[in-house]
Amino acid sequence: MNVLEARGISKRYGGLAALSDIDLTVAKGQFVAIIGPNGAGKSTLLNVLTGLVMPDGGQVLLDGRVMTRAATYKRIRAGLGRTFQHGRTFARLTVLENVMIGAAIRRDLGEAALRDAAMAILEQTGLVAEANAAIGSLSYGRRRMVELARALACGPRILLLDEPAAGLNSGEVDQLVDRLSDLRAKRELAVVLIEHNMGMVMRLAERIFVLNFGCNIAEGTPSEIQTNPAVLSAYLGEGYVHAGV
Amino acid sequence: MAMRTPLALAAAILAVGALLSFVLPEYHLRLMNLSVISAIAVIGLNFAFGYAGLISLGHAAFVGMGAYGVAILTTRYGWSPWLAMPMAIAATAVLAAVIGFPLLRLKGHYLALATLGLNVSFYIVASNWISLTGGTNGIARIPELHIAGQALPGERQFLWLGLVVLAVAAMVASILHASRYGRAMIAVRDDETAARMTGVDTTVVKISAFVLSAIYAAIAGCLFACHTRFVAPEDFTYAHSITYLAMLIVGGESSIVGAIFGSVLLTFLPEWLRFLGSAYLVFFGVLVLAILVFLPTGIVGLGRLARRPPRRPAAPAPVRVPEVGS
Repeated sequence: MNVLEARGISKRYGGLAALSDIDLTVAKGQFVAIIGPNGAGKSTLLNVLTGLVMPDGGQVLLDGRVMTRAATYKRIRAGLGRTFQHGRTFARLTVLENVMIGAAIRRDLGEAALRDAAMAILEQTGLVAEANAAIGSLSYGRRRMVELARALACGPRILLLDEPAAGLNSGEVDQLVDRLSDLRAKRELAVVLIEHNMGMVMRLAERIFVLNFGCNIAEGTPSEIQTNPAVLSAYLGEGYVHAGV
Repeated sequence: MAMRTPLALAAAILAVGALLSFVLPEYHLRLMNLSVISAIAVIGLNFAFGYAGLISLGHAAFVGMGAYGVAILTTRYGWSPWLAMPMAIAATAVLAAVIGFPLLRLKGHYLALATLGLNVSFYIVASNWISLTGGTNGIARIPELHIAGQALPGERQFLWLGLVVLAVAAMVASILHASRYGRAMIAVRDDETAARMTGVDTTVVKISAFVLSAIYAAIAGCLFACHTRFVAPEDFTYAHSITYLAMLIVGGESSIVGAIFGSVLLTFLPEWLRFLGSAYLVFFGVLVLAILVFLPTGIVGLGRLARRPPRRPAAPAPVRVPEVGS
């Protein structure tokens, strides 16, 4: 059963075709990566999947339910979670309060239960020590971790991560890879990852979709993608050698 | 949620207010009453502007709706003020929801201008619907409030009533601030897209903040009508809306205590600076400008500055890992 499915998604901005007839399927617990050069349409695809941008054509299905025109908050309540390319946290709230906003998706939880649920997520993501810290006092990498924790607090079954390693140092990237592997194993979480860090992508992804100029030019396992001539030509480069994270 | 903070806030309002009610002269008690009424309105404005980031320049219109509601129901239909007040507040809330639904699709300057237009429209309606509102002559002889069969005889007694209403209003606001609803409002102001991405129905949150803000304004309007026992369109112009906004900014936006400080300060300031005559407005303008530039968190920001720990050295810049295709 696919938890997320996009069928024939198209989106134009005037004369520019940002997405042309894109198909994407993500099964329960599957780790999928979307790669491609800047401007390929990767973030636009995430925006369509999350309802921030309405497609001109095609369908978005969550657990088999058509959600193409559904409001963003309804998709989140239906099991979608997302982080952004540049890390978007609520600056006037503490780390704990940021995560409590996500946990508040469960309306049956009282204030104390919300706090407990948020603390449990902070523990999983290694943020307990900073629970009461102001967002502004955190490093960029920690802020991005708060954003991830907030998305996890919504209890997603599909997590969309838009360049989570951007701006992180190599140690933080290693930590992120470990956390994602751990979360996936524990929660059976399906993950859709957009990332330029190929070491991370090849280490984590089971299946890779490659976009270029809004078109899906390739799809396959990491080993297939690394040797695909179209992908090497459009994105990875002819001399690409998998170097690890 | 711990009730300590809301209860402590209410207790502090009652204690300080009660103390002042015994030491201030009659005229200053009148000003205190006006301060308390403004503070209730400004705490309401804090929901819309301070928390949810909705720039409202039409807050005085909602104060006016509450005040006119009481004035019309009591003088034309003979209702008791105690019955007229909840009716006026409920009617204002419904109107705010109806107006807010289309209005809150706008953002930033557009919303500010639209709410300004709302206030101007209210003034025009109140001035020209003479059969209902009395036009520019307003509505006089609003009955005085009675408690346990006794009329409130003077400013001091009215102040006690006002303080109780303010304490309850501040307590409710404080509880909401620390609840999931308060956090959702703050999230919407900080980053509306991220709030949507966290499962927050931002439309509902914005309309709720706007309606809540209007309810507080209507409560203030009801008290104003019962205090002055006369209402006229001049009491609810857009200039009053700007004053409410200035009270919130000077006191400290997003802060209930700041809303109260700002209201008291800007109500008393014209009296303290009476010797300046018309030049007071220059002083007022410079004061607001200075606070915006040097103390963007308002008067309450002074306290936060004093409590702030010493600045830590800046964190080292992140080291980027090699990327492909960027």
